[in-house]
Amino acid sequence: MKTKSAPSIHLDPGLEIGYGSPLARFGQGVTLAGGTHFLLARNGRGKTTLLRTLAKTLKPVAGNFRTEGFIQYLPEDLRFDPEITPAVIFKMLLHKDKVSAALDLAKRIELDTKKPYGRLSTGNRRKTNLVMAEFSVKTDRGNILLLDEPFSGLDAFARQAFEEIWKASSVNVLRLVSCHPDYDSMEMPSAIMLEGKSANHFQEQGQTWSSLKARMN
Amino acid sequence: MRLFRLTFATIFQRKAWVICLFAILVVPFALPMISTATEKPILMQPARIQAAWSTLWVCALIWGLFTASREGETNAKTGIGEYFQTTGMSPTRQLLEIWLAMLAFIVPLAIITGALCYFTTAPADAKERAMWLVLNAQYVALFLLVVAPLLALSTALASRFGGITGFAATLGLTLYGLYGVGYLDNMLKVDENPLMRSIWVFSPHYHFADLTQRLYFKSGALPMAGFWAMTLYFSGILAFYLGLSRLCFRTRAAA
Repeated sequence: MKTKSAPSIHLDPGLEIGYGSPLARFGQGVTLAGGTHFLLARNGRGKTTLLRTLAKTLKPVAGNFRTEGFIQYLPEDLRFDPEITPAVIFKMLLHKDKVSAALDLAKRIELDTKKPYGRLSTGNRRKTNLVMAEFSVKTDRGNILLLDEPFSGLDAFARQAFEEIWKASSVNVLRLVSCHPDYDSMEMPSAIMLEGKSANHFQEQGQTWSSLKARMN
Repeated sequence: MRLFRLTFATIFQRKAWVICLFAILVVPFALPMISTATEKPILMQPARIQAAWSTLWVCALIWGLFTASREGETNAKTGIGEYFQTTGMSPTRQLLEIWLAMLAFIVPLAIITGALCYFTTAPADAKERAMWLVLNAQYVALFLLVVAPLLALSTALASRFGGITGFAATLGLTLYGLYGVGYLDNMLKVDENPLMRSIWVFSPHYHFADLTQRLYFKSGALPMAGFWAMTLYFSGILAFYLGLSRLCFRTRAAA
């Protein structure tokens, strides 16, 4: 039987990410523990590249990192077959004990689980993917969820529902969320920022998007 | 087996398999009715045999290979393959699960065809009937040994080169193995050529697995030694194609 362990990500100093040539370099080591961490950068600065590197589907250009926990990387463009419904997706991919809870959440966030995936709006497809990933979390060990732009297209109500889930499972699950925040007061106590060719970790209670934005060119 | 379940549900939900099932159940009865067999009742059984097995081949080669290639392409292009890979599911396992989901449709279709052929066209004589059963079982086995690796290859090629390539390459390979090899052999009988002979030798001789004519002319079951030799031959192709498929298979389309 697996023992429950806390999830973590350790990025060594000198870690470089990119496709052949480096997009960003970590000058200092970064350690992330359970909870929600944001990944911020302008377009094309390497958010997806970093997530893919941590998901081990892409090799780092240089340096090392370590992860502890069951990883799920949810690509921004993940899409299921247009003919199948979210209900079928949940039934096929989730443990049977979690299907009803997933369907309950879907109902709460107004996701029509009987509608074929191909006929869902962008936001509702995103909800389907997120529900699938959130309920695929393993309860017997630490988890790492790498979420690429999970909020794009999502309505405020659904976003709030997911943020509540994130708060409730912050010990067992480490979430690294790439996003483009859309309101200044959004709290981001832990954020990795890719700027220029360097990557830095900013950690502070009460830190908001407003204060972080000022650091971004 | 999450990817197996997802792929199985996806294929099931698309419902194209219903057309194949319908064709396999109806064509062997409907087609002979509009053929010359209606004028010569003695031709009814051979016509049914031909219709039943031809329908299965067409369904497997058109729908089966198309679906397999579509699944391979979808897995690589929609992020599903990458998602599963990050959860620890290796590319080998992904290919295996997609392949098994395809086989979950093809195997029953083959068994239904064999059973239908046995129950509706079996000779009255007990000895011939027993042989009929063996021949149909041999046909089902050889058919699956031919089609199964092609499904894996179709999935793998499509994941790397796109759905059209995966489908067209494996369909072309199958048609060549079923018919082209015979034409090549005829050409070599007229004009021997060492290079062409080597190509012929290393070609997949799928026509060995097509026992329709043997059923048609009631030639009896394959001798067991011959059957096992063919099983070994097609198992070798299966192993080779599975290895090739694994080399080609990608969980993520090239950036």
